[in-house]
This record gives sequence, C-alpha cells and structure tokens, in this order.
Amino acid sequence: MKVRIRRFDGQKEWWQDYEIDAKPSDTVLDILNRIREKHDHTLAFRQSCQMGSCGSCGMVINGLPALACQTRIGELKTESIRLEPLYNYKVIKDLVVDLTDFVNKHRSVKPWMIRKNPEELEEASMEFQVTPDQNLTFVQFDYCIMCGVCLAACPTVAIDPLFLGPQALGQAYRYIADPRDEGFEERIEVLDDSHGVWRCHFAGACSYVCPKGVDPAKAIQYLKKEILKYRLLHKKKASVKPAELVQKAPPANAPKPPPFDFKIEGGE
Amino acid sequence: MDREKEEKRYKSGLLRSLWPYNFNVERYTYTLHRITGVILILYLIAHVFEIYHLALGPAAWQQTMALLGSLGIWEKIGLWIIAGSALYHGANGLRLILNEAFGILLGKPVLPEYPYTPTSLSRNQKIAIYVIVLIVEALWIWAGIYLLWGLGII
Repeated sequence: MKVRIRRFDGQKEWWQDYEIDAKPSDTVLDILNRIREKHDHTLAFRQSCQMGSCGSCGMVINGLPALACQTRIGELKTESIRLEPLYNYKVIKDLVVDLTDFVNKHRSVKPWMIRKNPEELEEASMEFQVTPDQNLTFVQFDYCIMCGVCLAACPTVAIDPLFLGPQALGQAYRYIADPRDEGFEERIEVLDDSHGVWRCHFAGACSYVCPKGVDPAKAIQYLKKEILKYRLLHKKKASVKPAELVQKAPPANAPKPPPFDFKIEGGE
Repeated sequence: MDREKEEKRYKSGLLRSLWPYNFNVERYTYTLHRITGVILILYLIAHVFEIYHLALGPAAWQQTMALLGSLGIWEKIGLWIIAGSALYHGANGLRLILNEAFGILLGKPVLPEYPYTPTSLSRNQKIAIYVIVLIVEALWIWAGIYLLWGLGII
C-alpha cells in the first residue's frame, strides 16, 4: 500500500511516499509506527493510548480529520492513504501541530465549575444531587478528549483564527447546562463576542468528524439559544432546574446501620 | 516569518473554508450560503448605485436603463442568479434560525454510543435540507421560465 505523508522539517515542506505492507485490520497509527520502525525514523507524529482515549493522534486522513488509532485501513477503501497534519493549526514537524492556541481558547471559556460562594469548596458539608435526567443534558459534551480534530474541520476557524471554535464552545455549554454551575454571566462576556458563538454558521463539520460523538455543533446551537434567552428575555438556564443540595454524610448522632452478615446460607 | 505565512496559507484560508469535499451535507449548505450571501451583497451595492441615478434626473435614469438594456440576455441571466441566491439564502436562513434560536431539528443531548451518529446532523436535518433544495429549485426554474418569457424566447 502506498502511504503519502505531508512532511515538514521547520524549513521546507514536501510530500513523501512509502510502500508499506498493510492488512485491512491495521489502523493508520499501526502503519505510522511501522514506517518509523522500519523505513524512516525521522517521521514525527503524536501518539499515546492507541485506543481513542487520549486524543493525541489527530491528523487529516484522506482529506478528513480523524484519529489515526481509530481509523482502520479497510474502512478507508482506497488503494493509497494521504496523511496531513491537522488543518488550521501551525505545524511544528511533520504530523505534529502546535496546540497552544487551542488550549488557550479552551481555557478562555472557564471550563470548570463556578460557584458564587467560594466557602462551599473550602468547607463542604453538603453535595449537589444531579438526577439522571439532568445529567443527560450535559454528559454528552463531557466526553470531549481535546483531540482538536473539530477545529481542523471547522470552516470558520479556517478564515477566523480568533474564533473560539467548536471544542471551547462545546465545553462552555457543558458547564452552562450543568445545574451545579453558576458561571453563566462570567462566561457570556467571552461567548457573546464577535469571535464567539455567533461566528458559527452551523456547517456541522465538527460533529461529523468528532471521534467521540460529542456533537459540538449541537452544543453551540443550544448555547446560542441560551444567550438569546438571556439577552432578550433575561432568562438563564431556563431549560434546566438547579441541582438540589443533599447531605454528604449522615449526622454523628444518627443510628448506625447493623453490621453486614458475611455468613452464607448453607455454608460452614 | 515568510515561512509562517506560507504555512498558514496552506493550512487554512478562504479556499479551505469553502471546500466541502468529503464532508457532510450541512457543510455543502454552508458553502452555498456563503457564496449566495456574497452575490446578494454585490447585488445590493449595484442596486443602490442604480437607484442613486433616479436622484440625478430623468436623463441619467434613462441612460442607466439603456446601459442595463444593452446587456441583453446577460442581464436576465444575472437576475436569474440573483433570484436563485435570494431564494436559497432565505430558505436556508430560515432553517438556521430554527436551529439556532429555537433548537429545532437538533435532537436532545444523548449518551454517545458507538457508532456515533450526531443527532444535530440526523435524518430530520437532512429532510429539512432536501425540502429546501426542492422548493428552491422549483421556484428557481419557474423564475427562469418567467425571465425567458419576458424576453419573448418562449
């Protein structure tokens, strides 16, 4: 099988061809490891878990951004493979891209739980109860592994490098939809901006290529809906009821439950 | 610095943004929405320039009309493209408003299960797109017949 890779050494870029023996069950990452072991040890690419959990091996495979460890040769149904570094990123070397901007955008939407009362974190005696139904409103967007594939597919990021992008916006919605979070007003300054949520025109490419089924395009459209509600009707998170506080541990004077009986019926 | 510029140009830019090959149907609709939007903006500028000649008196207006009339069939083809752009941009814009402002056609958040099929790009979304394409094509063909009839060709 012919494998064509876009190479870059910091100075010049070129296409390099390799002839590799490959089985349909091999992944693209297997092929890359084989090239590096047997043909060309100068080839640079990222990898770690090899099972679609770490998000390190994102690259463009036959024109479509994807994870190399999750793409099998057989499913590509082509005689040759064309590999490129992720689009819309600065390339460091070969298939390795600079994720600094990506991480900074992610950080800018404050992807953590924000509570107005900081004492809750210091002296927590209660915990929030999230029902399964409430959990379903945001858990899909929690599956993001930050592989950066969605930004490579996004046509808006291609023309506006300052656009926050599907990953950051999807994560913003994940926390906004969470009934335990109180940071909507803090995040809205970043989201309701000329490079924020309104730059998305719903091409849906991010959801199409997402290797974890996160569907960031859906999160962004829901985010727009929440921002419109807030700006026009002064309502926030109307779709989700706030989480209820529940006792974390039973009080000290509560009766203790009887000890568990380890005896097995019929045993000695 | 030049190296960085060259690298940037290769990795992103307008062509990368408008090139939907290999991607989903929604990305094709995105590209068409951008292109028709640009056509409508150019038409709006030209239209304002045309109307401006009304303020310069009847002679200037007659001159402008004569200039447009001298384009012959190309004027009609231009109008037909503008009609198609307005139809598509409007209809697809309505779909986007349903998506963005009301969350319609997106589906509810779900627990992702392999093989992942994003609900925002699901069957309902596709049906909406194909209905839009069918309606726009029918009206566009009708507009074409109307323009040809105006020219006396049919």
